[in-house]
Amino acid sequence: MIAVAIIVFREVLEAALIVSIVLAASKGTRGRGVWVTGGIALGVLGACVVAGFAAEIAQAVAGMGQELFNATILFAAVGMLGWHNVWMGRHGKEMAMEATALGREVAAGDRPLYALASVVGIAVLREGSETVLFLYGLAAAGSGGTANLVGGGTIGVLGGVVVGAGLYLGLLRIPSRHLFAVTSWMILLLAAGLASQGAFFLNQADVLPALGNQVWDTSWLLDEDGVPGRVLHVLIGYVARPEGIQLVFWAATVIILLSLMRWFSTSPKRAVVRAAVIVSLVSAGLVLARAAHADFTIHPPIVEYQEFEVEHKGSYTFDPNPANRHNETGTLEIGYGFLPWWGSEIEFAWSRTASDPPRRLDEINWENTFQLADQGEYWLDPGIFAEIGKSTRVGNTHHVEIGPTLQKQWGNTLHTVNLFFEHPFGPNNGEKSVNFNYAWQSLWTWKREFQPGFEIFGDVGPVDRAPGIRDQQLRVGPVVFGKVSLGQALGELKYGLGYLFGLTHATEKGALKWQLEWEKVF
Amino acid sequence: MHRRTGVVSLALLGFLAAGAPAQAEDPQFTLVIRDHRFTPAELQIPAGVKVKLLVKNEDPTPEEFESTKLHREKVVPPGQEILVIVGPLDAGTYEFFGDFHKESAQGKLIAK
Repeated sequence: MIAVAIIVFREVLEAALIVSIVLAASKGTRGRGVWVTGGIALGVLGACVVAGFAAEIAQAVAGMGQELFNATILFAAVGMLGWHNVWMGRHGKEMAMEATALGREVAAGDRPLYALASVVGIAVLREGSETVLFLYGLAAAGSGGTANLVGGGTIGVLGGVVVGAGLYLGLLRIPSRHLFAVTSWMILLLAAGLASQGAFFLNQADVLPALGNQVWDTSWLLDEDGVPGRVLHVLIGYVARPEGIQLVFWAATVIILLSLMRWFSTSPKRAVVRAAVIVSLVSAGLVLARAAHADFTIHPPIVEYQEFEVEHKGSYTFDPNPANRHNETGTLEIGYGFLPWWGSEIEFAWSRTASDPPRRLDEINWENTFQLADQGEYWLDPGIFAEIGKSTRVGNTHHVEIGPTLQKQWGNTLHTVNLFFEHPFGPNNGEKSVNFNYAWQSLWTWKREFQPGFEIFGDVGPVDRAPGIRDQQLRVGPVVFGKVSLGQALGELKYGLGYLFGLTHATEKGALKWQLEWEKVF
Repeated sequence: MHRRTGVVSLALLGFLAAGAPAQAEDPQFTLVIRDHRFTPAELQIPAGVKVKLLVKNEDPTPEEFESTKLHREKVVPPGQEILVIVGPLDAGTYEFFGDFHKESAQGKLIAK
């Protein structure tokens, strides 16, 4: 009976904590009890359905149905929580200003309770389906008898509810004027934890790389299986042995939600938001610093005069052929805009391939951007990019790369093209060829913090004897960029994320790419 | 299988999942759950490569294959066989267990 109680307790606890946070966050809203109860009820129903179809789900999508289903509902919950926080950011100030209780209720009546109810339903469904399967298994096996099952199950449920109620009552003691901020933070961290779990399942489904199986191991300090570990797991997404990809998703969720909340906010708490963004980016950087090198970068014909920057870019490939998969590249760059028309960077590039696991420094590059005209002076913004790279590995060649860069701002879209000629040279270079590569980027400059678009990267090869398209490299894919200002004293943070699909025989099937940059005017 | 349309797909997840199952050349091993135990309880697998584990549940009740070291957690319905992809793993020992019957369902993967 105890064994049953413990397992049921663990599952119910996670759902109960989420319900408590949702209830505390929606305090004062009329009708929230009905919505939350409805969410729980639908969640229980859904849990039974999912448990009933466990076999079919498990076999779906090449045996990865369970993982994809879990990841989907987790990311749906992240979206709902994010939507709630953004909504609260927009209306929070109005509500706080309402003097009368009646005014507060009326204003809060429009709160998207359906979003919170969905989160409750999803949490109950996820934890519930495992509990139902477990209990059904015990019942079918006839282990220990019905009293054992019912007794243990009841104790487990009660235990979980008690802890959840404890959290709720604890939150209620917070004065109303602070409760909004506190629950917003709790929801933000809850969403980050759920996103990290979603990433876990996507890695299990072989859709995302782990980026390090175990970035740290704090199970000696706080084990996830114990009660405090589980509570922290739900509240902030604590994982004792996190995969790198989990940390990336955790940090990305915090950054994206904070950016959205701040952008929509009527009364932004700038310093707090900035601090949180820095913290999450540093933690993301800790993970990303371990990862790989970007050959996939668009260079704009624009120099940021007097701006100092530190940047990291990385990429990771996927392919059915073992020789082409799990290749990582990474760079660390330091640069400065010395003149209004000349900016310069030193880049350290490393890589690692599946067949050659240790990360090796490949080359040190000196990149120069020349801006030939003021932005908007001509119909196209012209520039020149010139790079010289020294290989640091035995047997590899050095190279020079040069070519025009062009950019055009068109309404709220931005288009950039690079046309580069690369000439390898050095002691080990037998061929006297010039290689041509091109790149295109189109972005929708919707918001500073979020600019989606696509990129194309192509590598023709030697210009004098270019192979057919099948043997050239060509990649296309969606990307998103953004920047967050940290204020005049702290500069700006920029990020970029994308996935490139390989279109030709000579290209890997897919590559994930990312970049993080910090810059400040000096 | 090599042909790509070049259309940026919004259904990234489904697309990737459908296109990225482990290929025929990945080594494959089978674990059987019987009487709430794993057979074999110790399984040697190659390190440094992706490995497909087929976990077959011959019990009439569900089990959950779980491992904190392998970062895997997946339900195996009764009478069913599920696919768990692990690796590439560094050489070492990786314990796993059946979460629904932890007292008896224990095992380890030894990567060499």
